[in-house]
Amino acid sequence: MGLLSGPLAGVLIAAFLASTVEFVEAFTIVLVVGVTVNWKSAFIGMAAATVALIVLVGIFGTALVVFIPLEALRTAVGFLLILFGLKWLKKSVLRYSGVKALHDEEAIYEEQMAEMRARGERPSNNVDTFGVVTSFKSVLLEGLEVAFIVITFGSASASNVSARAAGIAYAAIGAAAALILVALSGALIRAPLQRVPENTLKFVVGVMLTSFGTFWGGEGIGVNWPGGDWFLLALVAFYLLVSFALVTWLRPYGKPRATTSGETRTPAIEEAH
Amino acid sequence: MNRALCALKATYNFFSGDAVLLSAAILTFLLGYLLAQVLKAPNALVAVAFVAIVVIGLCVSLGREVAGRPRQR
Repeated sequence: MGLLSGPLAGVLIAAFLASTVEFVEAFTIVLVVGVTVNWKSAFIGMAAATVALIVLVGIFGTALVVFIPLEALRTAVGFLLILFGLKWLKKSVLRYSGVKALHDEEAIYEEQMAEMRARGERPSNNVDTFGVVTSFKSVLLEGLEVAFIVITFGSASASNVSARAAGIAYAAIGAAAALILVALSGALIRAPLQRVPENTLKFVVGVMLTSFGTFWGGEGIGVNWPGGDWFLLALVAFYLLVSFALVTWLRPYGKPRATTSGETRTPAIEEAH
Repeated sequence: MNRALCALKATYNFFSGDAVLLSAAILTFLLGYLLAQVLKAPNALVAVAFVAIVVIGLCVSLGREVAGRPRQR
């Protein structure tokens, strides 16, 4: 089998999906800065944050690949991935069941615009420190989780140093592809990216992170999964079933979803992220 | 709140933000290690326990979110 097989394909896909969700959220703030202050400040902040994230992945990724033994790495990575995975899964289950409102990029955009206008921000041609910092912070904060996923996923995906480095490279490629896709879509649309099915992506990524975390974490403490890497698919299927069962269980506690006529609507945003 | 506490809280929120999920993850690894390495339990038992605690943690955490809420439909 080629290099892009089994867990490596999963690494690439998970990094791409996770990054898409986070970059869509970051893009909304960058858009607000671009519209209310100017695009120059928005892009400088975004570029600086992207460089910071690349440096972070480069330093920590290399350190993990070279210096940490695989068993210890997989235990630690498994633990982190289970934490991230359960966090994402919980959020998306609550949103699917209607207990929490769906993430609404349009509402966040309007809210941020109002805040910027209240601060007296007006479009200008000069680089604006506040605009740069706002754009930088949003991309860095949203991208930090992506950076952790890229590092942990990539470094634990293979058993030898060169393959682990390749794992990080694949995860980084997935993240970069998501960044390019979101940036291009944003540049074309110049509006909040509402049509991206954020909750579905979050749900899928939550299932993938939890499955990989369980698989690698289990291996780290000495579990021999039946069927080797193929057991990952069984874990994915199992967590999907459990998640659907949980959505069904919680649905009676949630509010009815909005319909096309808009007669029933959950609160715009109960939670920022 | 001083800066150290703020940093600690931010780190906690970044990695988990949910005490139940964090406890479940810690318990999963502690119990898994105990079963696999100390008690030398059968592989199948360790695997089942490992996955079960993860799922129980998620269920408990979600249960807490809806605790006390009336059923809407």
